Amino acid sequence: MTDHGLVLAGALVAFGLAIGLGAIGAAFGDGLAGNAFISGVARQPEAQGRMIPWLFTIVGLVEAMYFINLAFGFVFLSNVPAAK
Amino acid sequence: MIGTDGAVGTHPTIDLGCGTLCTFNYDSLISSAIAVAATLGVAFWIRSQLREGEPTKVQAIFEWGYDQLRSLIKTNVSGDALFIIPLAMTIFLYILIANWIEVFPLAFFPILHGANADLNQTLAMGLIVFFVVQWYSFRVLGAYGFFYRYTKPFELPLPARIVFIPLNILEELVKPLTLALRLFGNIFAGAVMIGLIATFGTLQLPVVGSLPATILGSLLLAVWKAFDVIFIGFIQAFIFMLLTVIYFGAAREGLEHQHH
Repeated sequence: MTDHGLVLAGALVAFGLAIGLGAIGAAFGDGLAGNAFISGVARQPEAQGRMIPWLFTIVGLVEAMYFINLAFGFVFLSNVPAAK
Repeated sequence: MIGTDGAVGTHPTIDLGCGTLCTFNYDSLISSAIAVAATLGVAFWIRSQLREGEPTKVQAIFEWGYDQLRSLIKTNVSGDALFIIPLAMTIFLYILIANWIEVFPLAFFPILHGANADLNQTLAMGLIVFFVVQWYSFRVLGAYGFFYRYTKPFELPLPARIVFIPLNILEELVKPLTLALRLFGNIFAGAVMIGLIATFGTLQLPVVGSLPATILGSLLLAVWKAFDVIFIGFIQAFIFMLLTVIYFGAAREGLEHQHH
């Protein structure tokens, strides 16, 4: 295996790990937010309208971590030097 | 895409010949200039829609948003901090329009991208918020209170509070960084995904021919743009504005502890 192939393989494995593990965290966070939202609606159905904007705000904050992962994964992946 | 010349995340630069500080990513400059012009255009258009007595639809929407923002500031900061409204509203409108511009096929012009897909741009906005928050904190709390705020939590005895000083400074410094990285990460990753989906039609998939692949790719692109650009773009603009207001609220912590 050439040096370039080794670097590329390492970068791809790291990218896969980063987005995979990041997705676990984002999924947990989304699940927690959805859980709290459903419990809240079940307890107080009239508060649903006030909860939805906050639900999406929290989901946006949670997902942001994953998107930062994804963006930097792409940056690192695209900075693998080209083959000689 | 991997290891090519125009690698993802690098920008063409123009160097004015005095080092790093005057090397500009000219593609980002052009993109954000377009976003600024569009924001100004939209703002003046909204201004032209204002009617006394019988509000137009646009006016009604923006007055509702203005009311929401004002009550948010009143509950989170204080009733006399309404100078935040112009700052927060400008940030929201600018980020929203800069994000939504990506609905247009910017990739046809190689020097254009979403204005927020460059970390320099989002970091600049984050730093502006950071400095205005520090100025506000200094003005409200005074010099003593400003530095006293870095010894949170106030209930603890003095030696324990000293231990917390580095943590509090770090917490303060990380705020503009997370603001900037959150927005940049979302918009940049969305743009990369748009690029990936756009090449879907050109993949020589053995199962489907090239025409169905192109149609499928266009549909996927439409769905992704509706989700990422419109929805995520709005949420991120809102979150940036919300966190700005919340940081202003945190900047007056310790006001009630001062005079006792």
